[in-house]
Parts: sequence; structure tokens; C-alpha cells
Amino acid sequence: MSSRRSFLSGTAQLMSASWLALNWPAIAAAAHHADDAPDTPLTFKTFNAAEAADIDAIASQIIPSGATPGAHEAHVVYFIDQAFATFFSGRAKEYHHGLNTFQQSFRSGHAGGTFAAAARADQIAYLKTIDSGAFFQTTRLLTVLGLVASPKYGGNYQKLGWKIMGFDDQHAFQPPFGFYDRDYPGFVGYGTKERA
Amino acid sequence: MTARTFKTSETVDFVVVGSGASGGVMARELSRAGHSVVVMEQGPRLGPGDFEHDELKYFFLSGITNDPVKHPQTFRNDPSKRAVSLPDANALIYARIVGGSSNHFTANFWRFHEIDFHERTVLGSIAGTGFADWPITYQELEPYYTKVEWDVGVSGLAGASPFDPVRSKPYPMPPLPVKSSGVLFERGARKVGLHPFPAPMAINSQVHNGRPGCIHCGFCMGFGCEVQAKSSSLYTMIPDAEATGRCEIRSESYVFRIAMNDQGRATGVHYFDRDKREQMQKARAVVVCANGAETPRLLLNSSTERFKHGLANSSGYVGKFLMFNQGGDTHATFEHELNEYKSVQVSRILHDFYDTDPKRGFYGGGGIDARIGPQPGGWALAEGPGVPTWGDEYKARLESFSRSMLCAGHTTSLAVESNNVSLDPELKDAWGIPAIRTTYKDHPDDLSIARFLQDRAVEILDAAGAKKIWKANVAESSFAVHLLGTCRMGNDPKTSVIDKYHRTHDVKNLFLCDGSSFVTSGRGQPTMTIEALAFRAADHISQFAKRNEI
Repeated sequence: MSSRRSFLSGTAQLMSASWLALNWPAIAAAAHHADDAPDTPLTFKTFNAAEAADIDAIASQIIPSGATPGAHEAHVVYFIDQAFATFFSGRAKEYHHGLNTFQQSFRSGHAGGTFAAAARADQIAYLKTIDSGAFFQTTRLLTVLGLVASPKYGGNYQKLGWKIMGFDDQHAFQPPFGFYDRDYPGFVGYGTKERA
Repeated sequence: MTARTFKTSETVDFVVVGSGASGGVMARELSRAGHSVVVMEQGPRLGPGDFEHDELKYFFLSGITNDPVKHPQTFRNDPSKRAVSLPDANALIYARIVGGSSNHFTANFWRFHEIDFHERTVLGSIAGTGFADWPITYQELEPYYTKVEWDVGVSGLAGASPFDPVRSKPYPMPPLPVKSSGVLFERGARKVGLHPFPAPMAINSQVHNGRPGCIHCGFCMGFGCEVQAKSSSLYTMIPDAEATGRCEIRSESYVFRIAMNDQGRATGVHYFDRDKREQMQKARAVVVCANGAETPRLLLNSSTERFKHGLANSSGYVGKFLMFNQGGDTHATFEHELNEYKSVQVSRILHDFYDTDPKRGFYGGGGIDARIGPQPGGWALAEGPGVPTWGDEYKARLESFSRSMLCAGHTTSLAVESNNVSLDPELKDAWGIPAIRTTYKDHPDDLSIARFLQDRAVEILDAAGAKKIWKANVAESSFAVHLLGTCRMGNDPKTSVIDKYHRTHDVKNLFLCDGSSFVTSGRGQPTMTIEALAFRAADHISQFAKRNEI
């Protein structure tokens, strides 16, 4: 289970699973709601327009768009908003405080301009100065989850996150599974012990 | 099916605490032998339709595992320090539903080898450890390994590994289809002179015992099987037990104390029902199969005037010698797609480094397998090889998912007395029962063998033509899913908790059988052996009962 270990250790500092566990019913309800209403209008419940624009811009630097879609196309900002409106609501206040501090300090160093309106190079340069902090780390975690968690949580729009990763969301597969097992000739034993 | 139920006031032959890998086997074997059995399970009963492909739920939200809010634990790696509760996850993780961790295991089902049972005699003592032989041999356990393979259901190719222990019968099913990781692993390993072979898995490769073959959905590790192809107790042993008409599986029933009388005999178990009301089930004998964390916890929480330091603890070894199994991951990317997220986690392994080689300068051995590890969410969150965690390079790493695999090492942990499970002096769970406190620090040799196998994995992956290879950091353990050694088996009541028949040395009608019974850790993949021990123990326990020797 060493992979499980690296999964957990890769995320342990960033998100309180215990907190999430407490709020699982709310997540399940939100997911159920999402299943019922896939065409829910894209409105924000916890962010104002400027905040949403900045979060979208940060997420878009974490997983940039380019030849393939990125966090923006995968509706990651809506996943994050939905998270703070539902299962992550206990952390909304703290996160908003971090976001507002982020916005203020960016403006003060960039002649009053917003992060969302800044040039890409300026955005990247600024994020590099804060990417070890709690606000960025939480945003990064939620961005990745918004990209690859089940679409029922509000992100991974049209399964774009899975498509980026080459993950085919089906419930059954048949061999060959990949390139290298197409022409496998069969297992050849080492001597005398094999028995079918 | 209308399963038999019993009243708490009815004195049943056996209460089995826990419905997982060993509890399921115990329930089936004792009820088939004619005994009345009530199985107590902490968690709810789910069916295949309740399991889903939802990484957020299963890996972040304790979907089916003991969660750190209701079942908090504490951890420390230094016995002189105060243990702290972990904010995000428990240190000792197990599935808390009917069928236990046999639901969410990866289903690697190696037998232990002959050497595992008498390694202390071969190698001598190791200073600062409780390294010891088992009181049973591989030969004594062999018929029961065969029973696991046939009755529970294991796919594999007998004798394919030149290092396989002797066996009396081939596997009942052929191996599962090879994956791209298996082909590459096999190619690389053979080039460097090693002996890869088809992985034995407790997953049906074809219809077996009325259950379907695997549909290769890929969600095995950490998930419950949605088609009943994984040979979990939930789908195998438990329905068999219920079919006898002599066994009740009582879910959402949390045993917190073993009931004892003045004569020092167990009279049943105290438990909380689903409404948190205290109940007591009477029984002629108690078999605890609650896992290597919960079994010692239950004994330690069952102290009486006569057993002041916990039940069956005259040796002082209840909870001691906790072992996790170490292991290190070695990652690689290849030119073409592997799509490792499809199908069972592992299709090829090797045992060339199973035995300890004194020339290496440290104790230990293990196996290496080929796999991807977690599904996309877990993979996306795991660290890359010096790759930034955001930006274009990070995205490129995400895009390499389908071309990636890893070799996982599965290795020994030495039995060290200061590694243990005890009751936290302050923290209590949502039922008011003292929480598990884990003290654990890997023996240096455990880290050495894990790193040694990583270096071998690098050679294999390089020979297989990997474009990029990197080793994950082998760190001190901070959590585990293999929970072993905490009520060890032995002939001497002074240095062990149970005898070779799983009877506690101190209480005649109290038996323990699960990962806690282990004397050594094996080389990872303990569940096969846990189930073989349970088949063997049930045989003996039933005979004792019939001879009125309980």
C-alpha cells in the first residue's frame, strides 16, 4: 500500500480529512444536487466576481490551458466555490481572509491592478513568492481536486481533467489495456515447477 | 436470504468479534462445524451496489474506513514523547464495514515462504528486537493456504516462481490478464537475470464459486468491489456462514469490552448497538478477529481486578511488537501508453530478494511488484520527481499519467517492543472508549531493505526501456494498513499472548486470530496468511469445543 501512503502523505498537510469527514453528508447532498441538476447556472455562492476572477486566474496558473484544456475549462473555480458553499464551508472564512490578503498585497505591488488582469509572467512571478503559504497550498489542493474529482462535485467539467490525464471513465475494460500488453506472447516458465 | 438471529440473552457457542479477513473465515468454519455464532461488526453492512468510483469519498472522507473524527487515534515515534492526534488521517487504517479490510485490500495474495516461520533459528537473534520463530511451520499451514486459494478464491500460476514454497494443489483459477506494467516489468527483470511471475490475486479471473470474473474496472485498492469479483469476506465467507442457519452477522455493533466472570472465564461481549445503547451478548467462548489494532485495544480495555493490565496480558506483550511492512516505490514513465488505471493493480511480481542475505549487511527481504498505484486523483496529488507542484511542468506530469507505472517494494518489519498499540491516556472516541495510541519507529534495517529493493527496481525499469525513472523517498512510517504482531503467538506464556492454536495463555475460552497473531511480518501482503491462520485456528477451536476443552 505504499502508493496509498504517498497519496496520503502528499495531501496530509493540506486538507483536513477529519473536517471533511464531518461534512460528508453535505458533500453527498451537494453531489446529489449536482446529479439532479447538471445544467445549474454557473453562479458563485461564496465569491464575488473579482474574487472568482482571481481564483480562476490562480487555478489557471496551477494547471494552465494551452494545447489542452486546463483548470479554467474544467470549471475548477466553480468546484472551489461549491466546496466553500458546502462541504468546506467551515474553512470559508479563513480562506476568504487569505484571498483578501492575497489580493491586497498583489495590488500594493502592482499599481493597484488585480491579479486576474495581470500579465501571465507577472502572475507566475508573484505566485512563486507565495507558493509555500497556506493560501496557495489550499488553492492548489482544491484546484487539483477540482480537476480530477468526480464531476458530481462541480469541477472536472465534461471530464476534462480526466481527459488531460488520459483516464477513460468506464466501468469495464478488456485486455489489451495498453500498448505494451498487445502482443504479449504468454508467460514462459523457468523450469519444472509450473502447473496449470 | 433470511439469516438466523440470536437474542443477546441466548448463550451462543461463539461470539466472533470482527467480520473481516479472519472473522469471516472463523464465522464460516465454526458455523459449518455445527456451532452457533454471532459475529459482531463495528461498521454497517454494504452491498456491491453501495460501492462507487469516487476517490474524494474513499481517500479523503473515510468513505468506508475508520475516520479520525469518530474514531480518533494518536501517534508518536518516540515513546518518551506525548502522542498527538493526527489532523488528517489515523495512523492505523482499516475498513469499518462488514467484511472489514478484505473489502478494500488490493488483493495481493502471496503465501509466506517456509523461511518466514523459522528465520530466527536460521539467522540468530537480532539485538534490540523481539525477532523470534513462529510456533508453527509452513508445512502445518500449507493445507490451509490451499483452502484459502480454493474456498476464498485466488487466481495464479502454481510453481511459476522458482522461489515458491511447496504446495499441495494448483490455483483454482488462471492468473488475471497481464497489464502493460507487467509486460515491461517481466521484460526488464528477465534481462537482469531475475524471475518475474504472474501475481497471485484474490480476485476472480473467471467465474468461481458462483461469483463473476473481474471486469477490470481498476478500482481495487482502497475501494469495495462493485461486481463481487474480489474475494472479500463480504462476498465469500459471510454468505456461506449465513447459509448454515447458525450464524448471525450483527453489524453496527461495536464491542468495547470482553465480559468476564469471577472464575476468569469470558462470558460474552459488551457492545454498543447502532443507537449507542450498551448491550451484552452471552457466549460460551469469544474469538477476537478485530485486526492488529483493535484486538489489543479491546484486551487492554477489558481489564478486571484479576487482569489489571488488560485481559490475557500476563506476558505484558498485548499491543507490543507492532509491525507495518515497509516498502518503497520506484516510478517510471515510458514512451507509449500503459493505461495502468485499468484492471487489477498488480499482474507481475518477483521474489528473487525474498530471503535475507547476510552479505547485504542488514536483516530483511521482500518482493517487488509492477503497478500504477492510486487512480488519477491520488496520482495527481502525489509528488513528482523534482517536478514543481503547479504550472506547465506539473501539467505535463499529469499528462504522463497513462504512460506511467511504478514498482512497489514490499518488505519486512522487525518486531521491536517499543513499537506498539496502547490506550491513549486522554483521548476517547465518540463512544467514550479510550483511543488507540500508536508508538512506532522503523528499525533501521527495515528502511535499508526498502531502499535496497528500490535500487533493484531501478535496474529492472532501466532494462525495460523506461524514459524516466525516479525513487520516491523511503520515509519513517507514520501510518499503516498492515497491522501485525500485537498479540503474538508462541509456546511460552511469558513471551507470547496466544498459543499455537490461538488460545490466549491466560483465558481458556478466549481466542485471538488476525494480524495480531503474527510473530514476524512476512514480506508484505499479510492477508493470505491471516486467512490461512483463521482456517487452521477454526479447525482446532471447533475440535476443542466438541471435546469440551474450552
